[in-house]
Amino acid sequence: MLLLITLVPLLAALLIIVGLPARVTALTGAIISFAATLLVYLGFNSARPGYQFVSELPVSADLHLNFALGVDGLSLTMILLANIVLLAAIWFTGEIDRHENSFYASLLLIGGGAIGAFASLDLFFFYAFHELALIPTFLLIGIWGYGNRRTAAWKVTIYLALGSFILLIGLIMLYRAVPVEARSFDLRVLQSAKIPAAAQSPIYLVLLLGFGTLISLVPFHTWAPEAYASAPAPAAMLHAGVLKKFGLYGWLRLAVPLLPDAAQRWSNLLLLLLLANIIYVGLVTIAQRRLDWMLGYSSVMHIGYIFLGIASANALGLTGAALLMFAHGLSIALLFAITGEVRKRAPSLDFDALGGLANRMPIAAFLFGLGAFAAIGLPGFANFSAEIMVFFGAFRPGFDFQHFHFLQWATLLALWGVVISAVYMLRAYRRIFFGRPTEEIEPPPTDLGLSLRFPAALLVAVSLFFGMFPQGLIEKISPAFRAYFQR
Amino acid sequence: MINAVVVNSALPWVALLVPLIASALIVLFTQRARDLSALLSVAAVLVSFVCSCLIFGRANIGAAEIPWINLPGLLRVPLGFVLDQLSRTMMLVVTGVGALIHIYSLGYMRDEAGKSRYFAALSLFIFSMLGIVLANNFVMMFIFWELVGVSSYLLIGHWFDRAAAADAAKKAFITNRLGDFGFMLGILMVWGATGTVVFGEMLPRLGQITANPSFLTICVLLIFCGAVGKSAQFPLHVWLPDAMEGPTPVSALIHAATMVAAGVYMLVRVGFLVQASPAALHVIAWVGTITAVMAGLIATQQNDIKRILAYSTLSQLGYMIMAVGLASGEAAMFHLFTHAFFKALLFLAAGSVILAVHHEQDIWKMGGQGRNVFLTFVTFACGTLALIGCPPFAGYFSKDAILALALQRDPLIFAFALFTAFLTAFYMVRLFVVVFLGKPRTPEALNSRESPTSMLLPLVILSLLALIAGFTFFARHFLPLPDETHSIAPILALGAMLIGVALGVFLYRGRNEDPLNLTALRHRFYFDEFYGWLIEHTQEFLARVAAFIDRWLIDAGAVRGASGATWSFGAMLRLLQVGNLQAYAFLFGLGIIWVIYFALFR
Amino acid sequence: MVTLGQYLGVSGMLFAIGFAGVLLRRNIIIVFMALELMLNAANLALVAFSRYRLGPDGLPNYNAQVLVFFIITVAAAEVAVGLAIIVALYRARRTTHVEDINALKF
Repeated sequence: MLLLITLVPLLAALLIIVGLPARVTALTGAIISFAATLLVYLGFNSARPGYQFVSELPVSADLHLNFALGVDGLSLTMILLANIVLLAAIWFTGEIDRHENSFYASLLLIGGGAIGAFASLDLFFFYAFHELALIPTFLLIGIWGYGNRRTAAWKVTIYLALGSFILLIGLIMLYRAVPVEARSFDLRVLQSAKIPAAAQSPIYLVLLLGFGTLISLVPFHTWAPEAYASAPAPAAMLHAGVLKKFGLYGWLRLAVPLLPDAAQRWSNLLLLLLLANIIYVGLVTIAQRRLDWMLGYSSVMHIGYIFLGIASANALGLTGAALLMFAHGLSIALLFAITGEVRKRAPSLDFDALGGLANRMPIAAFLFGLGAFAAIGLPGFANFSAEIMVFFGAFRPGFDFQHFHFLQWATLLALWGVVISAVYMLRAYRRIFFGRPTEEIEPPPTDLGLSLRFPAALLVAVSLFFGMFPQGLIEKISPAFRAYFQR
Repeated sequence: MINAVVVNSALPWVALLVPLIASALIVLFTQRARDLSALLSVAAVLVSFVCSCLIFGRANIGAAEIPWINLPGLLRVPLGFVLDQLSRTMMLVVTGVGALIHIYSLGYMRDEAGKSRYFAALSLFIFSMLGIVLANNFVMMFIFWELVGVSSYLLIGHWFDRAAAADAAKKAFITNRLGDFGFMLGILMVWGATGTVVFGEMLPRLGQITANPSFLTICVLLIFCGAVGKSAQFPLHVWLPDAMEGPTPVSALIHAATMVAAGVYMLVRVGFLVQASPAALHVIAWVGTITAVMAGLIATQQNDIKRILAYSTLSQLGYMIMAVGLASGEAAMFHLFTHAFFKALLFLAAGSVILAVHHEQDIWKMGGQGRNVFLTFVTFACGTLALIGCPPFAGYFSKDAILALALQRDPLIFAFALFTAFLTAFYMVRLFVVVFLGKPRTPEALNSRESPTSMLLPLVILSLLALIAGFTFFARHFLPLPDETHSIAPILALGAMLIGVALGVFLYRGRNEDPLNLTALRHRFYFDEFYGWLIEHTQEFLARVAAFIDRWLIDAGAVRGASGATWSFGAMLRLLQVGNLQAYAFLFGLGIIWVIYFALFR
Repeated sequence: MVTLGQYLGVSGMLFAIGFAGVLLRRNIIIVFMALELMLNAANLALVAFSRYRLGPDGLPNYNAQVLVFFIITVAAAEVAVGLAIIVALYRARRTTHVEDINALKF
């Protein structure tokens, strides 16, 4: 089943390159994969520990390399996210004026690569699938992007390639630090290894640098807004919504269980960085004057909350972080999708040039509003339940009546970030959709067609569903994390 | 309650969910059919009202709990209900006043293009407000707390193409968020200390907090922040007057009768926590007092009919908060209860006047409406009498309860409260005289016409309620009433009121413009200007600095610097590439010699 | 008796002359000839070593001589290609002066 989920998008990409009609093939592939994911989701038994739906194909006996796939609650959530966003992104891809086939193939490659990385139980494929997804990102921005697209494409590529390279070094260090009997590419074996406390710190720092670059941790974040501002909407949806979560996923998979002592030791550094992500980037976001840049920065900001959950180092916060990855993926994908539609219809995305779009595009305004409210953590959306868990998870450990420790101060400041995000989101919403247009747009923008409402509704519905009933996902995710702390 | 056998029932869930379902149906299906949307919404609130009545009659009712977040040993957040007398009465108020205002809206918003949107948001509001009322834990309350904020945002911004409405909506939401920041932090701290967010489970563990008085004070004050935001207390009161940009029924329902009272309700709900900290109570009482006096002063110099009422709401909310701070939840709830009726009445009557004079809100452009819109005039008079505390109207009883309490606990606060009572009478009489008496000042005011029946019916019902809601024989069925104290407070209050009325009539009878001109009051004590300045010099300044750092130091400096350094290193190396074959050969030879030297002679 | 050292000396001198020619002459044909001279210097050294370093069985080391044949063959091929390039270059640029041929720069 997982094999199907992983390979169908890649296969569809291949078929499109060979020459099958792009849109139909892409949609079919995405829907098949999505349907299969739903089956896995329904068939997943949250009471059983460990990985499920495991399938293995030996690749090389000499290197002990297995093409092994399997899911636990965490990877299942991420695969579900990847599939939903992939489907929506493909659906939102309108007419492409040149190289249509390559465009769709690239999208499928990103989606398939991300799914593969999430499903892999083998370190090698975990890494390789992610690399597979990076190249099409470069192409999508460089060929079909907007504005200063070449610069942006190079910047994002160099950044991500460097990040991956540092990550590779970190992984090798990790592999070598593991005691010989547990030394394996197999995550199941690797995860149960114990690394001596003294050896953890350098690995931790290298991994932080590598993963941090991939997920735009301050100060390695400036590629993100530029890339998302230049990327075509489906690419931004997939990258911000899904692929960027790879870094966090990897962190949850490897760094959290394997390097607990180093995490303890460097937790203040991590908190400092994530506060920079929340407060500093939040302020930068307030100062933005273009919608696409604003959204790019806001997605950087939200990484901080996810990291706060990770830094809390307990099952509550970690589950919240995983849920937030899921929720943020949905909301940012929706926002980028609507922004893409606005971009097609309006002359620019400058706040000063727009206004009153809600009159012309009520559906778009409504959907953007939902996305914005989800992003600022409004109850009812999955983001809220996730943020609640993150805050509660980060606040409790080592509670003391007399004074807060750093984690609690960080929680306090992160709460302030919620105010900041309300400020920039509502301000943008006010400037673009409310009020009167500063100048009339010719031709007058049309609203979203019927066919585009479906993918948007999908994103909204999933977010609402897990916002109202987060327990369904929590039950699936939390056993994986509880296992971390029982060793 | 404790001994009675609790019978689980689906009624609370039905009452809660029907408005949500109606809202969802309107959004999904009946966007185009505007009248159908309106009917759906009205039907939903009526169903909720009926359910609330049924629930009200059954003291031993309970409801099933569903887990929302449940991580055993870490965090448990259920979606469950508290169904004590407090919440059952609030349910009645919310759905009852809500139903009347829905009906009123049928008339008021008859020809509105965004009618479906309006009624969807209204239903969402009823749902959220019921959620706050029913919540049995902090997180659930916070959920609905925020949802109320959103529906308020949507309704204030209903006419989103008006810049003022769009700005007001944003301002209201963000100001509330500011309060919620404190609220959430308070919740986190209480949870940190007790390990639970459920009110019922908190009680037995309260000792863990009360053992640390300073901690408790901070907790309570942070939670109070939420109420300051939602109930628009000083210093976060600035959003409420601006919120009058929304449709008038919304002002009546949300920004007068129910939502703004949520803060008071919440404080009463967690009274066990609040009353454990005398220091916090002191702060709360004074915040309420300051708000009451300040808003009363500002109201005397406003010209917009809805803004005057908005400031009077602020002032009355100040009374309620004051009562909470004086450790009497009963007095606060009693005033909340009566205020909900007469303030909704005042707003709806004002809406009726506004509609009659073709959406003119400046009181100096009205006048002489007593003849043209007689029924509105009478009902507005009822509301005014109730608000200024004239016996036998409802406001008299509830306000006197608070005044008597203040006299008993803190004479200084009592003095301020008395002054506020005078101010209330003064500005309401001013409003009343200018709008309804005298001669019409504009052609529109001359030709104004009475509103349709769907609008007048709620006015009449609310007038009746404003008349009787204060009497003990009526109110005691709904609320635990504050103990009657025999003091001189009612007499003093009556005196203050009479002075206010007399002064108002004396100053404003037959005038065509305001004889008073107090700049500071007219400009609302410059709060908006000050906040504008503050935001500009803190948040905006920091944002610009951060953007500068990000753009020029990190991106242009570090990132482009690194790329530039790489590039210029390459450019330097390029200089060696002279393109001359023999130069290369020479270097090559040198290299060989160097290698030989190292290989053989070292 | 001519010693190995004398042969190597001649070979070294030939190599140095050839190298100097490569470096200093400006006409590309002369450079080319100097290059051949260097190759032949290497050949001479190889043959000399082959003749003077006899194996345990008293025979010369033929590997070196085979290498010489290789060099001669490759040099012949190289002359063919190289001269062809020079002719083509001359046709294109109307010059055989190395200083005029610096298209590789930048």
